[in-house]
Amino acid sequence: MMEDRIDDLFGYVEERCLWQFFSRTWDRQENIDGVLGQAERLLSGKEPVRETPMDKLFYADALVMVNDFRERFPWIREVEPEEVRELLDGLKARLVDVTITRSTNRELNHHLY
Amino acid sequence: MPMVLLECDKDIPERQKHIYLKAPNEDTREFLPIANAATIPGTLSERGCAFCGAKLVIGGVLKDTIQMIHGPLGCAYDTWHTKRYPTDNGHFNMKYVWSTDMKESHIVFGGEKRLEQSINEAFDEMPDIKRMIVYTTCPTALIGDDIKAVTKKVMRERPDVDIFTVECPGFAGVSQSKGHHVLNIGWINEKVDTLEKEITSEYTMNFIGDFNIQGDTQLLQTYWDRLGIQVIAHFTGNGTYDDLRCMQQAKLNVVNCARSSGYIANELKKRYGIPRLDIDSWGFNYMAEGIRKICAFFGIEERGEALIAEEYAKWKPKLDWYKERLKGTRMAIWTGGPRLWHWTKSVEDDLGVQVVAMSSKFGHEEDFEKVIARGQEGTYYIDDGNELEFFEIIEHVKPDVIFTGPRVGELVKKLHIPYVNGHAYHNGPYMGFEGFVNLARDMYNAVYNPIRHLAAIDIRDANPKAMPDRVREAA
Amino acid sequence: MSECNVAEVKPAEVKFAARERGGIINPMYDCQPAGAQYAGIGVKDCIPLVHGGQGCTMFVRLLFAQHFKENFDVASTSLHEDSAVFGGAKRVQEGVMVLARRYPNLRLIPIITTCSTEVIGDDIEGTINICNKALKAEFPDRQIYLAPVHTPSFKGSHVSGYAECMKSIVKTVATKKGEPTGKLNVLPGWVNPGDVVLLKRYLKEMGIDHHIFMDTEDFDSPMLPGKTIETHGRTTVEDIQDSANAIGTLSLARYESDSAAKYLKDEFEVPMHAVDTPYGIQNTDAMLRKLAEITGKPIPDSLVHERGIALDAMADLAHMFFANKKVAIFGHPDLVLGLATFCMELEMEPSLLLIGDDQGSKYKKDARIKALKETADFDMEIIHNADLWELEKRIKDGAKYDLIMGHSKGRYVAIDANIPMVRVGFPTFDRAGLYRKPTMGYQGAMELAEACANAMFAHMEYTRNKEWILNTW
Repeated sequence: MMEDRIDDLFGYVEERCLWQFFSRTWDRQENIDGVLGQAERLLSGKEPVRETPMDKLFYADALVMVNDFRERFPWIREVEPEEVRELLDGLKARLVDVTITRSTNRELNHHLY
Repeated sequence: MPMVLLECDKDIPERQKHIYLKAPNEDTREFLPIANAATIPGTLSERGCAFCGAKLVIGGVLKDTIQMIHGPLGCAYDTWHTKRYPTDNGHFNMKYVWSTDMKESHIVFGGEKRLEQSINEAFDEMPDIKRMIVYTTCPTALIGDDIKAVTKKVMRERPDVDIFTVECPGFAGVSQSKGHHVLNIGWINEKVDTLEKEITSEYTMNFIGDFNIQGDTQLLQTYWDRLGIQVIAHFTGNGTYDDLRCMQQAKLNVVNCARSSGYIANELKKRYGIPRLDIDSWGFNYMAEGIRKICAFFGIEERGEALIAEEYAKWKPKLDWYKERLKGTRMAIWTGGPRLWHWTKSVEDDLGVQVVAMSSKFGHEEDFEKVIARGQEGTYYIDDGNELEFFEIIEHVKPDVIFTGPRVGELVKKLHIPYVNGHAYHNGPYMGFEGFVNLARDMYNAVYNPIRHLAAIDIRDANPKAMPDRVREAA
Repeated sequence: MSECNVAEVKPAEVKFAARERGGIINPMYDCQPAGAQYAGIGVKDCIPLVHGGQGCTMFVRLLFAQHFKENFDVASTSLHEDSAVFGGAKRVQEGVMVLARRYPNLRLIPIITTCSTEVIGDDIEGTINICNKALKAEFPDRQIYLAPVHTPSFKGSHVSGYAECMKSIVKTVATKKGEPTGKLNVLPGWVNPGDVVLLKRYLKEMGIDHHIFMDTEDFDSPMLPGKTIETHGRTTVEDIQDSANAIGTLSLARYESDSAAKYLKDEFEVPMHAVDTPYGIQNTDAMLRKLAEITGKPIPDSLVHERGIALDAMADLAHMFFANKKVAIFGHPDLVLGLATFCMELEMEPSLLLIGDDQGSKYKKDARIKALKETADFDMEIIHNADLWELEKRIKDGAKYDLIMGHSKGRYVAIDANIPMVRVGFPTFDRAGLYRKPTMGYQGAMELAEACANAMFAHMEYTRNKEWILNTW
């Protein structure tokens, strides 16, 4: 069941989120970590962090995504706070694999923009 | 084998690496078209050159800047009257183009004096204009003219002018994409953080990668005004040279066209810590999402919701009218690159349109990651498509409408396929809520135009083809 | 409108000068490779291959599409940095072979150089020899002509590039003298399909068997039930081969077609007959008289009739509306000089003529310019090597023109200064269907005169300037 749920979330992110496809691996990693970090707080009922400009950016991206999750995937309301992390870790693993580890994009590791 | 070797490409089999037909349960880890690679000579590719990527796409949009093209007159002539980016000061940018008119003697003896003369003449002839971009072209790059030295000399002699140089000859890189890159990086290195402007709002952003095609920038600006957000610089729609020197002052970079302008957003993040937020400005759903994100960043979510509600109330019924009639339309998108991924899902979600083939002139592999993630199965994804491939793809996917440039539009007209100008639009703007209704209207008018059906009728037939049941209605 | 003061009579002055500025603000012309591409697309089963950056091709194809609302095939060698360093000959070879393989009907490839490949110094003739061997090996049953066209962008303009490609195509394809064909070569220069159709009609009415180079009639092509695409030149390789065996060559454009005509004369002793481009009545008269002289065939009643119709229409307009109107004209030199005569026939005063590129010394020998100097009884400026700023600057400095005649690249001069403008020449993308209209011949003169009148009438109405005159006209 966890895998199906991760499929749902991954399907959503794949279709809608531009932050996973930034130009370089480190930006992709930073975005994935940042947005999913804020998403975890939002989904667990915690206050998001909104201190630095980057916090605010990840909050903005996460907020829209989490609201869409709630609208599209009613099951997410049932997810216990302790399961949220597992769910998002699963999503993160998929995103990292597709957009970083096994991406064949030849520009991802160029040290300059 | 989901990478496709088309029949017309049997003699150039390397094209197989550039054409992908998406099948179920596949993703870009296995199949990603090779992109931003050299074109095969003689293929009738759609690509332009690096110079045009810098001048025509980005620099030439500015409304207060002389575009001095150091080279033979053709490079100036060709990048003039080929874009639709108006300005609020009478379209200075579309009316004029400047060339140093290099002749053989300048090629032999060097063109620096000619450049200096032309720069001074241009400022003398138009004394109100104080800003200029100088571009190299193929021959002036090959002979090694030092355009920076010339512009520095002129700036010393004319303290009230400021000149930026772009050294990006047409043969650089594989497409116009190289020119985007050179201009982006040159600008951040040389011009950003050389000026400060008055800050009038606590919410400030740069809007990057939108070129005011048929007024896109100006339409979106009405949103930012209503939200109380100060746009420090538009990169570069309806923009000014000096605004772009102040980009460091913004708190947020909002990026629409990541292909042409992602570089400067990346650098602004790296050097000034300004976050980069990528949004899609075409489509209802997307535009609302972009506004929500911007407002969430600034903590003004309720303003954003109010704006979205107003715009939805005003435009959504019109959009739905078109959606009702466009549902199931088969669309092809053959444009530069980013519009593939900006549009494929927005036309699907907002208009019920199915995108069946997409070709990108200058997209990179990143653009294909995006579009394949967003696009449908059974759809072709093509890098640097050429004319014979287009014919073959049309046979395979039978599109009802193609969003592409006017020349290809003229070509497919003969096949009775209507086109909508996917670069410069038919009657835009297309961005924002109102804009997407415009896009829907133009698509509807194209798909339902009676002429394409009349063209299919052979008047000599005893039983000619009937006109379709679905007919055009007044909107 | 005219002042009623009796002005002091001073002799008319005709000034002939070059643009004084070094740089260009708003060019009148594109560069040589663009003109070469235009000549190339006039041949059937021909795809020009431009040896240079991709922009040199992509924008020119777009320009043709803007003007004709049609697509034309032109290929590029897609020159990149490595070629700039090591030479681009390999890319030409690859381009030729790819075209030959993918386009089985292809018979002619003009290989058009650009500024970059001329600076690099690629050996086009040597490369063609290599390509010819490769083509022969791979396609023993096909003859594909490769024409070297040297068109560095830093010389001339699209006008001279057109001439260069015409000449090279003739030189490459018409290689031997054969049986006389009894046909006349007609070289109209860079004109619209509307003019090609008109010339064909005139030749037919005179009973003259002919080939038009290039026959661009199908640049205005149909949407057909069978979805076939007929947008291409009608001139065939055989037509070009036959040009060496013609009874003569009639060249209608000094700067666009004379060089090819001269080549046929020098190489194959095909008599060359050059006349002034037939814009206006007198130039058309001269062309028809020349045709009669070459062929011994009389000018038919039908053309006498058409001439009369044109004069009748023009007489209704001339001294009522056109007299003393100052006209600024810009575009191809053969067009501009022809239109100047045309304007004078209509009692207008072509006071500013902008002609192009860097052929100042050539223009000095142009008899038409000499004739204008002798006949103009009003002040006239002829600016060569001109750009469109020459016109705009004069208007900003107070010069008054009642009408502008020229191509669409000058549209904003007319729009901003609120001067009626008639689109003529190339390109005319901001008006519908002009490529279909003749501007040559009697019909062309009449239609152009009427276009001038209608532009002025509309302007009178929009500016409320004696628009009531037309209440009773």
